[in-house]
Amino acid sequence: MVPATRSRSVHPLSNLIDRLEQGGALLPDSPENVLEVVGILKSYGTVLDAYQRNLTYIAEHQFLVLFPFFKYFNGEVTVQKLLKHWWHDRINYEFAEYCMRGMLWHGAENLDRYLDSDEFCQRAAAAIAAKVRSNPLMRGLNRLSPDFLLEQVRMLVYYSVLGQFWNVMSRLFLVLSDRYDRGEIRAIPEVVQHVLDGLVAAANNPLTYAVELQGQRYEIIPESAGLTFLMDAAVPYVEAVFFRSFPFFGTVSYNAQAHQISPNQADFNYGALFADPLPVGGAGIPPTLLMQDMMHFVPDYLQEIYMRGLRGSDDLRVKICLSFQKSMFCVTTAVIRGLAPYPLSTTDPEQRQVNRIYLEQWMDRLLESRLVTLN
Amino acid sequence: MNQLLFQTSWWVPVYGLAGALLTLPWSVGLVRRTGPRPAAYFNILMTILALVHSGLVLWAVWDLPPERLLVPWLSLPGFDIWLTFVTSRTSVGAVFVITGLSLLAQVFALGYLEKDWALARFYALMGFFEGAMTGIALSDSLFLSYALLEMLTLSTYLLVGFWYAQPLVVTAARDAFLTKRVGDLLLLMGVVTLSTLAGSLDFTHLDQWVKVANLSPLTATLLGLALLAGPTGKCAIFPLNLWLDEAMEGPNPASILRNSVVVACGAYVLIKLQPVLALSPIALNTLMILGAMTAVGASLVSIAQIDIKRTLSHSTSAYLGLVFLAVGTQQDEVALLFLLTHGIAKALLFMSIGSIILTTSTQDLTEMGGLASRMPATTSAFVVGSLATVGVLPLGCFWAMLAWSDGVWFKAPELIGILLVVNGLTAFNLTRVFGLVFWGKPQPKTRRAPEVMWLMALPMVFLTVLTLLLPLLFWRWQILPSWSEVNPILVGLLLLSGLLGCGLAGWIYLNPRITKPVSLVGKSVREVLAYDFCIDRLYKLSVVLGVVQGSRLTAWLDRYVVDGLVNFVGVASIFSGESLKYTISGQSRNYLLTLFVGVLLALTLLSWTHWGWSL
Amino acid sequence: MLSVLIWVPILGAVIIGCLPESMVATRSRQVALAVATGLLGWSLYLSSQFHLSEPGLQFQEGLPWIESLGLTYQLGVDGLSLPLVLINSLLSWLAIYSSDGQIHRPRFYYILLLILNGAVAGAFMSQNLLLFFLFFELELIPLYLVIAIWGGARRGYAAMKFLIYTAVSGVLILATFFGLSLLSGSSTFDYAVLQEHTLPLSTQLVLLITLLIGFGIKIPVVPLHTWLPDAHVEAPTPASVLLAGVLLKLGTYGMLRFGLQLFPEAWRVIAPGLATLAVVSVLYGSFAAIAQTDMKKIVAYSSVGHMGYILLAAAAATPLSLLGAIAQMISHGLISALLFLGVGAVYAKTGTRDINVLRGLLSPERGLPLIGSLMIVGAMASAGIPGMMGFVAEFIVYRSSFEVFPVQTLLSMVGTGLTAVYFLIMINKVFFGRLPDSLANLPRVRWHDRVPAMIVTVLIVFLGLQPSWMTRWSQTTAVALVEDRLNRSTTTFAEVRSVPSDPDWLSLQLTGSESPKRPIH
Repeated sequence: MVPATRSRSVHPLSNLIDRLEQGGALLPDSPENVLEVVGILKSYGTVLDAYQRNLTYIAEHQFLVLFPFFKYFNGEVTVQKLLKHWWHDRINYEFAEYCMRGMLWHGAENLDRYLDSDEFCQRAAAAIAAKVRSNPLMRGLNRLSPDFLLEQVRMLVYYSVLGQFWNVMSRLFLVLSDRYDRGEIRAIPEVVQHVLDGLVAAANNPLTYAVELQGQRYEIIPESAGLTFLMDAAVPYVEAVFFRSFPFFGTVSYNAQAHQISPNQADFNYGALFADPLPVGGAGIPPTLLMQDMMHFVPDYLQEIYMRGLRGSDDLRVKICLSFQKSMFCVTTAVIRGLAPYPLSTTDPEQRQVNRIYLEQWMDRLLESRLVTLN
Repeated sequence: MNQLLFQTSWWVPVYGLAGALLTLPWSVGLVRRTGPRPAAYFNILMTILALVHSGLVLWAVWDLPPERLLVPWLSLPGFDIWLTFVTSRTSVGAVFVITGLSLLAQVFALGYLEKDWALARFYALMGFFEGAMTGIALSDSLFLSYALLEMLTLSTYLLVGFWYAQPLVVTAARDAFLTKRVGDLLLLMGVVTLSTLAGSLDFTHLDQWVKVANLSPLTATLLGLALLAGPTGKCAIFPLNLWLDEAMEGPNPASILRNSVVVACGAYVLIKLQPVLALSPIALNTLMILGAMTAVGASLVSIAQIDIKRTLSHSTSAYLGLVFLAVGTQQDEVALLFLLTHGIAKALLFMSIGSIILTTSTQDLTEMGGLASRMPATTSAFVVGSLATVGVLPLGCFWAMLAWSDGVWFKAPELIGILLVVNGLTAFNLTRVFGLVFWGKPQPKTRRAPEVMWLMALPMVFLTVLTLLLPLLFWRWQILPSWSEVNPILVGLLLLSGLLGCGLAGWIYLNPRITKPVSLVGKSVREVLAYDFCIDRLYKLSVVLGVVQGSRLTAWLDRYVVDGLVNFVGVASIFSGESLKYTISGQSRNYLLTLFVGVLLALTLLSWTHWGWSL
Repeated sequence: MLSVLIWVPILGAVIIGCLPESMVATRSRQVALAVATGLLGWSLYLSSQFHLSEPGLQFQEGLPWIESLGLTYQLGVDGLSLPLVLINSLLSWLAIYSSDGQIHRPRFYYILLLILNGAVAGAFMSQNLLLFFLFFELELIPLYLVIAIWGGARRGYAAMKFLIYTAVSGVLILATFFGLSLLSGSSTFDYAVLQEHTLPLSTQLVLLITLLIGFGIKIPVVPLHTWLPDAHVEAPTPASVLLAGVLLKLGTYGMLRFGLQLFPEAWRVIAPGLATLAVVSVLYGSFAAIAQTDMKKIVAYSSVGHMGYILLAAAAATPLSLLGAIAQMISHGLISALLFLGVGAVYAKTGTRDINVLRGLLSPERGLPLIGSLMIVGAMASAGIPGMMGFVAEFIVYRSSFEVFPVQTLLSMVGTGLTAVYFLIMINKVFFGRLPDSLANLPRVRWHDRVPAMIVTVLIVFLGLQPSWMTRWSQTTAVALVEDRLNRSTTTFAEVRSVPSDPDWLSLQLTGSESPKRPIH
């Protein structure tokens, strides 16, 4: 029951605003949801861990390699691994790169400002010079087209940033699963709190990026650049991957004359919170890769529930996607709470008013999301 | 050894089909735990095999006269069908080019579609595509060519429909199939007629037959027009051109092949049919008129496009229009040369825009800009591809255009005007695209544009180098005219038209002081051009209307007239249906008995009369 | 040898009938399937023993039955009937295999399917007119009951319509047979004996037209077709498969066997009319199919169209065209079976066949992707895409009929284009696009649902690539059918085949050694 002192919001999603103000999450709390969310986050954590290792590996060890044939091998090239790779019996690291491209293309405000600064250009140029020193072909290429390698370094920065972000997140999710197994997590708000605590703890971790070339270390993002975990990795990530992302070839026409894609990137809503789970598994739907990867790590208790469904293992990836979206709404809740101007549980009417406006802004963006079908 | 190579040349199409078959475990979903990439590798492997095999055959037949290979297929009373192949420098060379481009496109697709889980299906279709095309190149039989053209239609439908959940893809795939099908159907009528008239469908035989054929002008004209319809659909020539525009909804690696070699297959068959078409002046004139209309019209349309894929696809139609004109003026060699140079240049252009689309996530020219410095491979591919498309520098199409104009110089000099217009307009358009995409300031969507990954860059760079080397190869093969043979007026005119186009577009689109978008013509003209002269409305008012109205009329007739009329029995049936309802609820055995007795009674009755009579 | 194909299914039916009540639910299906498997094996064995070069009847059997009626039990197969017998065994097996395991009243259902199988086989093998008629009548009772009991909502109407139309057809056929027997002055219905008789042309015409109306209902030929869409829509899937795949072929088979062969002169007189009627059928069926919204009706009307090609080829009546007619019978049998199996699977999982409701069924996780792909193959085969048997059959039909009826052939070729139109509309609407939420929770598709369609698909593609496996059975017979007519015909047949010039000059002139053409023997 809403206390008398509080006016109800008139927003179409006012019930969600109420729930958030009362300490709830975007996702309704129920034992099934908890099980699903924790279970899928366990497998997501495992996959993310693999992703982040690879992203970091590429950023640090595949620096400006023109033919990175073994970029998914994390430095460990064996015949057996090669055969498995060719048989496509592996983690689909392409999806990690896809998310990275999302962040790169949509941009992260502070990071981008730094990437366009002279400081970055000088630091990158030094690293590039070290890299091309022994390679006349690349040297020539660099001289002909000086922005080519520079842009590649910018991309590698995003590789590294996303790797650092996911490094924190994967551990966070795996710990969550352990806590659930120990019986410490019983409700959705507790899941949200766990994620929030993790984000807060890492919020001010500095983002840095350096490569070692010919025994020398080249700092490309120094700590002095002042880039931090929450504002320069987590928030842009949520924006780029949860909200905007790219239109899928499989569902949206790129035909310029059809005008199906907004000219304004801020209008994009193809992200994880919006994507339609039904076409997953089909042609032109990149998240299929993530669902496929998670399929291998679904914990038994969740697998059992999936197998009970009408189609058993036939539509596993769609079911995983549905669970995944639920879990991502929990993460989004944590971000909403973390970024709120005042604690959402505040009793001060003025603070509450400010919070209300803040929440309504979020709800505006979530209007078209899959949230509506989950509630 | 050579004999073995000849004998096995028909394997080349089989490799592609075998690759397609090998993908089945993944494309039908038997393999679910692991990913579909092995299917792609199998196909690439098969294509490499096909490339090597055709390369060896090409090497073997280079200096030899054409040799025919007959594979018996179906022997019927009074009618035998042989699958006839011909191995000549031309046919095997075409196979080599097709498999080569197919290999490049498939490697390119490994990168372009790396995030697509339906990769296996894509490669199955590419294998199918390749098999059908190489078959057409080798075929010496109109029957086989027709069959393979139809298979191309099918695989185009499935490739355009690859992203089947996307609404525009659905209509595009349908339109591509039906448009081509109209052409194919008329072609089939021609094939059946020709088969009856000439007795054989082998091109070699047809060449002989036309010398003695004695057809009435009406038959010859109808036959010629029917045969012309198939290539018209395949080559996206007016009035069957719209499908190519719509087909751009499909994945880009398929567009690479579609705009280079698939459309060329239609023209290739047309070249082979040219002697039969020549039986009728009307057919030949129609061919020329359609070619000329498409060449100029599509060039104009392509300038009005804002979609990067579509602007190039219309230019494909325009160039195929020129090929039609070459066939119409009976310059088969020139037509083949044109197909080759245009095919390679267009494939390169499409690879380049594929990497642009993947990097910028947009196809809208007005949203691009400033890519040149950051994407060197893509930029050079586009520039080289463009230069090889227009007659400005002595790259591929320049020589083809020169040969083309040289051929018509005495026959029909007025046609040179068309060539110059197409050259100028294309030069203008490609410079325009270059200006919008690579020049100027980056826009939000092109702000971060790292060069594409090596799987896409490698085939692109390879083809760029090849395009640059092509004139050298021509020179070695003695295809190029010697300096004394070159007509300086033609060279001058070609260069002038190309440079004029480039210069004009450069002045507008490379000039930062002119704000984009530029309005060159009035809004209404631009709209008409942007929407392809509203040809879709022409379809709607003709064929579509006819079919829709015909089906409505028939359905109405069926429901109210035929059924009603024949249903005087029906009245009884409803009545008896009511009265016999109990049979449904279980007493059917009684009914069965009744029926049996009835039949037997009737039999006895009749037989009794019969018996009595015969006594 | 041949009797096995008739009496084993009857025996199987009896066994099922005698099963104790406790076993009916599970064992009926097993017994039926075992019998069908045996029959399929036996038909294959017979085919392997069949002499391809022998033009006449093989495996003949004869027993006197009711001599006074002229009814003898005489069986035999030639190149015209053998493929149809094979198709019958194959499709019966598929029909039984694809039947719903949970069907109600299983005992009666499987009995009916087995009787149907035996009766149809009997009709194809009968060499006595009256015997043919008996089997022809016998076949319609089980089908009537299957539709009437296990059919859809309007099954009563559809079944009755089917019964009445087919019964009328039977009466007309019987009348012709009696007429023929009477007028030829013999007291026999023996096919071989009757074939030797030559009746006056006017008598022939009367009899032939009556007979053709009878078989025309069965084929069905426009305007006698209206029972077919209704019957298909209401019939359960296995019945649709059999109806389209085998039973319609009884009409075209009878037309060739009894119409063309017993009344050769009259046939030539009315052949142009028949060809025109074929065009009407083709175009009418195709146009009507475009306007339908029920998937089954689309396939049903497509049957009307495609059976028209058989009529066209039959009208042309050259060796090649008869071969084309037989090939088209086989090809239509398999292709329509595939399409009906696909539609059946869609209906079983989604509960609807409305193309305006269905969408996006190719969805790999929640849709019917494999069924959808097989439907695409079926649609393309039906639309005459090369590489599948539909193309081969249609090409032979066009090529051969063109020599005799060029205009009609060209017109009916438009039907192939229209086939592409309606099937593309269906495929695009039903299988492409996004799976709507209302269809997002379909039951699981099991291998059992897919296997029948996959078998047929493999056959369609295989015979499309290697058509001589389809045509070789009938080649000799097709030639014999025409030669026989030529010999008996009072006027020469030359004017009919005057159109094609002798093609041999070409190959002789060109190469000498290779001969892409062989003269007609």
